[in-house]
This record gives sequence, C-alpha cells and structure tokens, in this order.
Amino acid sequence: MAFQTRRKYCFFKENNISTVDYKDVKLLKRFTNDNGKIMPRRVTGTSAKMHRKVVGAIKRARTIGLMPFVDSGSE
Amino acid sequence: MRYYELIYIVNSNVERKKIDQVMKDISSRLENTDSKIINHVVWGKKKLAYPIKGNTYGNYILLHYEGGDNNKLNEFDSWLKLSGLVIRHMIVRLEEKPDVVKDFGDEKTENNSEKKSEEIVEENKEQLEKKNVEEDKEVE
Repeated sequence: MAFQTRRKYCFFKENNISTVDYKDVKLLKRFTNDNGKIMPRRVTGTSAKMHRKVVGAIKRARTIGLMPFVDSGSE
Repeated sequence: MRYYELIYIVNSNVERKKIDQVMKDISSRLENTDSKIINHVVWGKKKLAYPIKGNTYGNYILLHYEGGDNNKLNEFDSWLKLSGLVIRHMIVRLEEKPDVVKDFGDEKTENNSEKKSEEIVEENKEQLEKKNVEEDKEVE
C-alpha cells in the first residue's frame, strides 16, 4: 500500500470510561486543538454519546477558568 | 434529594487564614439553606486559563452538598455572586452521591492523574500495535 490509513476509534470506548468530569483538564485537552477549539467528531473519532459529554465538560471547564476559550499560546 | 458540587475561586494573594474565613462564611451560609455539606476541600492554587477580574492565579475550592430548600439555595447562589468573597463560582448538579474526600487537591492527586493518563496512552499504543499486527496478518 502506498499509504496507511489511520484507524479512528472512540477514546472512551477503548478505555471503558463512561463519565466525563470537567475537572479532568488533562483528558479534555485531548479534544481541543492548539487554539483551544473543540475538535469535531470526524477528527477525534469519539462516539456521538461521549462527544456530547466532552463538549459539555469543556464548556464547564471554560466557565470556571480551567480551560481557555481562546488559547493564543503567547502566555 | 439532589446532590450538587460548588466550585469557587478565591484570590490567591490572600493569606491562608483569610481563605479559611471565606470557607467558614460560605459553609455557615449554606447550612442556613437546610443543606448538608459532604465535602469542603481546597483543591489548590492554579493558573487560570484566562485572567478573571485581573487575577492570573486562583485558589480553587470544592464543596459537595446535598440540596435543601430550593428558594434559599437560589438566594445563596446570588449572595455568593454579590458578596465579593470569590472571584468566580459555579454550581453543578451531580448524578450520584459524591464520595467523602479526605485529602483531595494537593499535588498528590495531580501527579496521580498524570500517571493515569500516561498509562492510558501507553495502553492505547499497545492496543494499536496489536491491531496493526493483526491487520498485517490478515493482509498476508
């Protein structure tokens, strides 16, 4: 084969995680890009159910100042 | 009864005594709403992702409680905002009863969580490698 296709998989399904806590910034950072934007499902491969939970958790984390709304990276 | 989690940020430049005083104030005010406090722990000083009211650092404090009178709780929420004791606060409803935490927050837990995610990453790598090997075999 000329190139290998990267296989998409749901992070939560692979690791048997059923709840997402907004305080777990380390985990949530996986689902945002360098600018702090939430990455789409087609990129992360997360299942629809868990993606909704991730989005909710990231927004909560943003409200309380744990995650950036916009990460300019200049800090 | 419903369970809630209150997280609030106190100015990090104040003394430890002042933080204890704020925690006491909030506890006593919350108890007036017929709520039961389950946990009230300091999570620790953290850098804020963006400046809030001119602060770049903040002391995070977590408070788990069982909800009491709803009207009084609404009043408590607005009091917290107007009191000026905290930089920011957020109340979240919990699905399940929270466990009693003894020593949350200190650096220990942060290290643990780092370890955990590292382990997960390693596991993932292993699993991916396995899958790749299997796929290769199938191709052959």
